[in-house]
Amino acid sequence: MIVPEFDYLTPQTLNEACALLGEYGSRAKVLAGGSDLVVKMKNGLLKPDYIVSLKNLQDLKGIRYEAGTGVIIGARTTHNRVVENEILRERFPSVSAAAGTMAAYQVRNIGTIGGNLVNAVPSADMPPILIALSAKARIVGLSGERLVDLEEFFLGPGKTVLNQDEILAEIIIPDQATTGSSYIKFGLRRAGSLAVAGVASSVMMDGEMAEDVRIVLGAVAPTPLRAREAEAVLRGKKVSQELIEQAGKIAAAESKPITDIRGSAEYRRHLVDVLTRRTLKTAIEKGHV
Amino acid sequence: MSEPAAKKEQYSVIGKSVPKVDAYDKATGRARYTGDLKVPNALVGKILRSPHAHARIISIDTSKAEQLPGVKAVITAKDVPSVMYGISPARYDENIFAVEKVLYVGDKVAAVAAVDEETAVKALNLIDVEYEVLPPVLDPFRAMDPDQPQLHEQYPRNISVEIHQNFGDVDKALADAYHVRTDTFSGTRAAHVPMEPHAALSKWEGGKLTITCSTQSPHYFQYHIARVFGLKMGDVRVLKSYVGGGFGGKLEPSGAEYVSAALAMKTGRPVKLVFDRWEVFVHHRGRHPQHITLTTGVTKEGKLLGCHARFIIDGGAYTSLGIASAYYAGAMLPLIYMFDHYRFDGFRVHTNLPSCGAQRGHGAPQPRFAFESQLDMIAKDLGMDSIDIRLVNARKPDTMTPNEFKVNSCAFTEAIQKARRISGWDEKKGKLASGKGIGIGCGGFISGNGYPIYRTRLPHAGAVIKVSEQGDIATLYTGAVDIGQGSDTVLAQMAAEAMGIDFEDIKLVTADTETTPHDFGAYASRQTLMSGWAVKEAGEEVRRQVLELAAEMLEANVEDMNVDRRVIYVKGSPEKSIPFERVANEFFITRGPLVGRGKYAPPKLGGSFKGAPVGTSPAYSFAAQISQVETDEETGQVMVTDVWDVHDCGQVINPTLLHAQVEGALFMGMGEAMYEAMVFDANGKPLNANLGDYRIPTALDVPQVVSDLVDSYEPAGPWGVKEVGEGATLPTMGSYANAIYDAIGIRIYDMPLTPEKVWRAIEQRKRQEREAAEKK
Repeated sequence: MIVPEFDYLTPQTLNEACALLGEYGSRAKVLAGGSDLVVKMKNGLLKPDYIVSLKNLQDLKGIRYEAGTGVIIGARTTHNRVVENEILRERFPSVSAAAGTMAAYQVRNIGTIGGNLVNAVPSADMPPILIALSAKARIVGLSGERLVDLEEFFLGPGKTVLNQDEILAEIIIPDQATTGSSYIKFGLRRAGSLAVAGVASSVMMDGEMAEDVRIVLGAVAPTPLRAREAEAVLRGKKVSQELIEQAGKIAAAESKPITDIRGSAEYRRHLVDVLTRRTLKTAIEKGHV
Repeated sequence: MSEPAAKKEQYSVIGKSVPKVDAYDKATGRARYTGDLKVPNALVGKILRSPHAHARIISIDTSKAEQLPGVKAVITAKDVPSVMYGISPARYDENIFAVEKVLYVGDKVAAVAAVDEETAVKALNLIDVEYEVLPPVLDPFRAMDPDQPQLHEQYPRNISVEIHQNFGDVDKALADAYHVRTDTFSGTRAAHVPMEPHAALSKWEGGKLTITCSTQSPHYFQYHIARVFGLKMGDVRVLKSYVGGGFGGKLEPSGAEYVSAALAMKTGRPVKLVFDRWEVFVHHRGRHPQHITLTTGVTKEGKLLGCHARFIIDGGAYTSLGIASAYYAGAMLPLIYMFDHYRFDGFRVHTNLPSCGAQRGHGAPQPRFAFESQLDMIAKDLGMDSIDIRLVNARKPDTMTPNEFKVNSCAFTEAIQKARRISGWDEKKGKLASGKGIGIGCGGFISGNGYPIYRTRLPHAGAVIKVSEQGDIATLYTGAVDIGQGSDTVLAQMAAEAMGIDFEDIKLVTADTETTPHDFGAYASRQTLMSGWAVKEAGEEVRRQVLELAAEMLEANVEDMNVDRRVIYVKGSPEKSIPFERVANEFFITRGPLVGRGKYAPPKLGGSFKGAPVGTSPAYSFAAQISQVETDEETGQVMVTDVWDVHDCGQVINPTLLHAQVEGALFMGMGEAMYEAMVFDANGKPLNANLGDYRIPTALDVPQVVSDLVDSYEPAGPWGVKEVGEGATLPTMGSYANAIYDAIGIRIYDMPLTPEKVWRAIEQRKRQEREAAEKK
């Protein structure tokens, strides 16, 4: 349970950080909050020779709103900042609420939203709601920067589209016509538990009509999963209890859960059904984004 | 049996919520636990543990590890005494290091001492062990089959403890019963999860071994360590620093002490060894998973007539304290309800899994869950209220259990009635909104064990109080062990009360085999009663000596003298008074040291049948617990919103500490009821030996608790005290299970009550209802 030896690097700029990552390749790891990295190192699962700390990169911290773009969250922003931020609470309260379901208060003071995304754990709580809200990742590397739909960001457990020299800089939740969204995590205790299943839904309602619907499932596939067939059940339709129930069943069928110590695949599929219905109802009825 | 209220009010120090003596140190982080201790020249010890649940050791090559710079010693079984240890001589079945075979993932194979932790870990990785992997025995039922591998030569069919006790005529009682039920329940391998891991710092100087460790009993550690190393007990000193929780897991040496002692003897340098969290889990010695079948018969009115209890108990790799756990499982069952006919058959079976031992409520909580669940089922069968059936059967004071436990004070009926009242039971039972429910579970526990763990004529507790030469303070020397529960504070209150001085006047020297009088330690909820008696006797000896001298100084009769809060006065003439410190100072000048001594040994208790001592105690506590739950019928999630606990624990010395004990015990019971179970893969490898995957309740998960008391006075306890630290663990599982039944009509027979399990039970019921409807 001791951290193996490594060189600790503290770049002053994002470019410098990318250069270090490019130079050291897989021998380097990025340190933000460390709530995943340090635990893995202590357990001997990772033995990087270089730790590239982002602590001097102040630009990666904080939450701001830019008209015409949306809400921009720096990757180094801690979960508790996401929970408490007034801009998010006003514009995307479901994102703040989702951040509040993560880990425990003490860990939320340290862990960062960027770390949560880059770590790409299938049960992570932030990806479903961010994907449901069409969030994008601003990625910076040696050859410049690119914007990637968060939906395309995850490749598998622990795997993302980031190249070795790239750093996730910001998450952008675009201005949108969405009228309501909700994330529900099903964990086995009220703090310090991973999601057995998590579902996020967002809707764009026009009167009784669901003009657009996004349903994203967490912890039931190798990556966060859009339940596209379930979305199609409601899209462009007048919403009804029957359609919501149908969407729940279809989302459950679309999920690809595994059995592990937290729950069986069968139970997870059932939870997807329940949580899809509940998040859809909240998104439709309560109508806040 | 109740002491007049007027007399209670006379107490100056006991009965008051004085702050814990260590509160400031703990709140500020100043308290130093064994792992925090820094000693010049100390080495770090680390243990190499088996990666296999069952394997033969072919060879161990330590040469590469020995050559690593910074490594000072590498030891295996051949470097340490081959004396086996355990709890009772017939079942000494454990070695410091595995000799031929490893019996669980985590079994101790070798150890290193190095200049720092990093080097020690590197050295462990350089030890080459060649194993021949053997098929593991993982299922306690299969373990008894003749074709299964046998873990220990001395335990055929892997049965290390077999118990058959029979009281009265159970067959006849069941034949005569109006209604008989047989049901099977099971519990889990729940763990203690102390915040502080097991740790020891050993020094070997001039033929004397000094071990500072995280322990519940310096005495038992001294006894076992001296025996294993062939030393005089006087050459082994065991003491503690602050201890961050024990819950039963630190009552026996964990190996941290044996191994650090062996490394210290080999290197001549102090060696500190601290378990990591994985080691704490695999070392275990916690709850035994029990499979319990109860056959119980009642009259039409719900009066219990007899019970036959059968237990299959998964003990894991070694016996540990498990022989006692197995006896406790059955012995405690007839304590709280009155019936005459009782039979108990138990098998404790070995598997290649972590060894089970003593954990809060020792052996009794899972059978209590079974009995409390079945009693509710019987009540339903008879159309009775769950509380009414308990009132019909509740034990009365001054009675004897069928297995010959003598109960003195018992306010169990009052506790049930009070719980009924304060929880609003009559307005709620069966009347709450859909998905909500209320349930009751009860319990009772010993206030100290009638007999120690090994045979000895030593009294159970001793105390010395030495008043300072100036008479301004008094130092209490006690072997009692404060592991966080607050015994130092409670015993200091008792010492002050007995002497007639203030709580603030008491200094403490505790839990050190060299400087304090013998005491068996913190287990079996024994210290307030047993150590308390010794402290009371010592304090009263000081008081008597002081009053004798004061009588001379005031020219009064000694029988007219009294002392209260440092003022010695003549009863009826308060103007004739003298300060305590003046008399104590005069005592030292004219007569020498002012010292009081006390000891406590329980009277002879229990019957003469085999296993009769287990469960005997000078006094028993009783408790009723009512829980209210909300369930989510779609997901199976259960939320416990409120719990009302009413305890009969005799006279209270420190109310705040008492209620904290109730809450802690209840939350531990909640963990076992709702979340906790160690799980393993098909090869016996633990899958959740960490605090992320082995879930204990957090502050956000626990319900609102109302902890209340009934007026009670125990004649066998000093000032009327009895148990509180473990008793509140017992009712919780049953009360939760019964509340869930009230909420959604689902009966869960095996712990823990996970959402998936509840959901599956709901689904099964729906299927059955559908099938029944189709048949119609």
